[in-house]
Amino acid sequence: MTALMTAANLDVSLPMPQSPLQFLTPGRATIDILRDISLTIDAKTTLGLVGESGSGKSTLARALLGLQPISGGEICFDQVPLTTPAGFQSLRRSTAMMFQDPIASLSPRMRIGKQLTEPFVIHRVVMPDRGARAAQLLDRVGLPASLADRYPHELSGGQARRVCVARALALSPRLLIADEPTAGLDVSVQGEILNLLRQIRDETGLALLIITHNLPMVRHVSDHVAIMYLGRLIETGPTRTVFANPKHPYTQNLIASKPQPDPRKRRSDLAIKGEIPSILRRPEGCEFHNRCRFAQDLCRQHPPELREVSAGQFARCHYAETLTK
Amino acid sequence: MSTPLFEIDKLSLQYHTNGGAFHALRDVSLTARRGEVIGIVGESGSGKSTLVSAMIGLLSANAYITNGSVKINDTDLLTLSERKRRRFRGHDIAVIFQDPMTAFNPVLPLGAQLIDFQFHRRGVSKRDKRQHAIDTLTHVGIAAADKIMAKYVHELSGGMRQRAAIAAALVMTPDVLIADEPTTALDVTMEAQIIHLLRQLSHDHDGTIIVVTHHLGVIGELCDRVYVMYAGQVVEEGPVDAIYHTPGHPYTTALIDCDLVHLDETPRTLPTIPGRVPDLAPPPAGCAFANRCEKAQTRCFASAPPRVQIAKEHAAWCFRVPGHEVAQ
Repeated sequence: MTALMTAANLDVSLPMPQSPLQFLTPGRATIDILRDISLTIDAKTTLGLVGESGSGKSTLARALLGLQPISGGEICFDQVPLTTPAGFQSLRRSTAMMFQDPIASLSPRMRIGKQLTEPFVIHRVVMPDRGARAAQLLDRVGLPASLADRYPHELSGGQARRVCVARALALSPRLLIADEPTAGLDVSVQGEILNLLRQIRDETGLALLIITHNLPMVRHVSDHVAIMYLGRLIETGPTRTVFANPKHPYTQNLIASKPQPDPRKRRSDLAIKGEIPSILRRPEGCEFHNRCRFAQDLCRQHPPELREVSAGQFARCHYAETLTK
Repeated sequence: MSTPLFEIDKLSLQYHTNGGAFHALRDVSLTARRGEVIGIVGESGSGKSTLVSAMIGLLSANAYITNGSVKINDTDLLTLSERKRRRFRGHDIAVIFQDPMTAFNPVLPLGAQLIDFQFHRRGVSKRDKRQHAIDTLTHVGIAAADKIMAKYVHELSGGMRQRAAIAAALVMTPDVLIADEPTTALDVTMEAQIIHLLRQLSHDHDGTIIVVTHHLGVIGELCDRVYVMYAGQVVEEGPVDAIYHTPGHPYTTALIDCDLVHLDETPRTLPTIPGRVPDLAPPPAGCAFANRCEKAQTRCFASAPPRVQIAKEHAAWCFRVPGHEVAQ
């Protein structure tokens, strides 16, 4: 399998919020949003990126697409490092992003048909019949061609999602990044969008990066999964392996935290205490130690490395092998 | 059986729109007894938000109640004057709103608002009200509550905000506590903590808690009895175990099947309910779910299905409840 996109030791830092007394401390302080992220997205596969709000998953997606300047590390697309503006230009042509809020990511004043064909205009792709192309794209995501004359506010949530899928597919990208593709959708229609994404992936061989905090969804749509906590990857591996045998205590907690739609499986204990710490006050040692049931002195002092704990499965925990649920 | 603390009887409500009357609620009946946790589950367009607004009498100007009653301790809130109804709100019935960020006033400190919410309590000093607010915040698991009192909502984290919103609803110790999508805005780990908190509250709260959500997991973890809503109607009601394990209505079955948490193996295509919720202006003549139902027959489109009693306290509105088929 060939790696379509790789990120190696990626860092993203932003300047600290401005303080009125800033002149007292010369040199700009920075906060690390992402630290030392390495991941690979293979062609024709789906990678699920999981994390709670504030874990940096959306920043990572933006960094991969060159929408967020990186402060360290390297991103390669098709084995070509993205260091020049020209490199990014080719990246933009072959990648697409579906943003979290479909209605907000569509222009309220433009008809659907025009929005769908805008990528062709921007990238100067010759398009003989704009209307026919719009109809073709709508058909591909299972929407009637008559929708091309509507405005975004006239669509339902599920329809708007489909329009966003259609627009993302317009230039036949090789990588599609979907940020919370089912947020705000009813359970009875979320399957439709996920089935559609999978079907398109199988037909066109594009790679999918799905960003979400919805674990059951990741379990059923992705081949690989990467779990983030405070801007670091804390566990990665094949989805089956990670769900069957999570090695990092945070992953174990996430899986155990999901409310069960079955009163016979009610849990009496609380899987995880406390809240995700502020990124401004990143804990010393292992970032997770203050919420971890198993934390030892070693965890409070030394940050663990991401290391292979079983075939293809990596975890950032000192005690990954010895922990039990 | 004890008498119901809170009772909605055959409530029907229409929104008058340019497109005609939109039948948002049709013959909705619901009872809640002291000590019970009731779940109302439904997808968007099911009318659950309208029902919450009707329960507390905060309907929009174009909403008209055409029939029914909403009673707390045998007082019908719908026949009261606005002035009298206001006395019930907060004191007898309170809501934990979905978005705590917009539930609070952003330009007042949290403490001032929690004190103001106690305006019903005549003859209590401000100092005591302040202490009561601090106690309530501590009760919902906020450490250093006296410091939090001076903060503004935007200074709190998401989990803290939700806890503060719960405290705001509890501050007058209402008999009926309504939680409207209490965990929708939260992450998985915070969601688990809030569910845990609500479950604790249900033990030491001497009233009833009504949880309104689209999330089956939340209902499964919290509730004793469940009402399933679809297109403005209750389609099934029953004890939580019966709803999840022996559902009578095809919509309930389909809804539970769509929840991916259940699936152990990944199927080729993920389960969905094809089709859309019907337009309710005017509502369909027969069963509202018929156009999406696999088991639908001609009669399902022609006439409204009857209430079929499946077991004690378990009923579904369907011609074809397994084991209880209504003869043609």
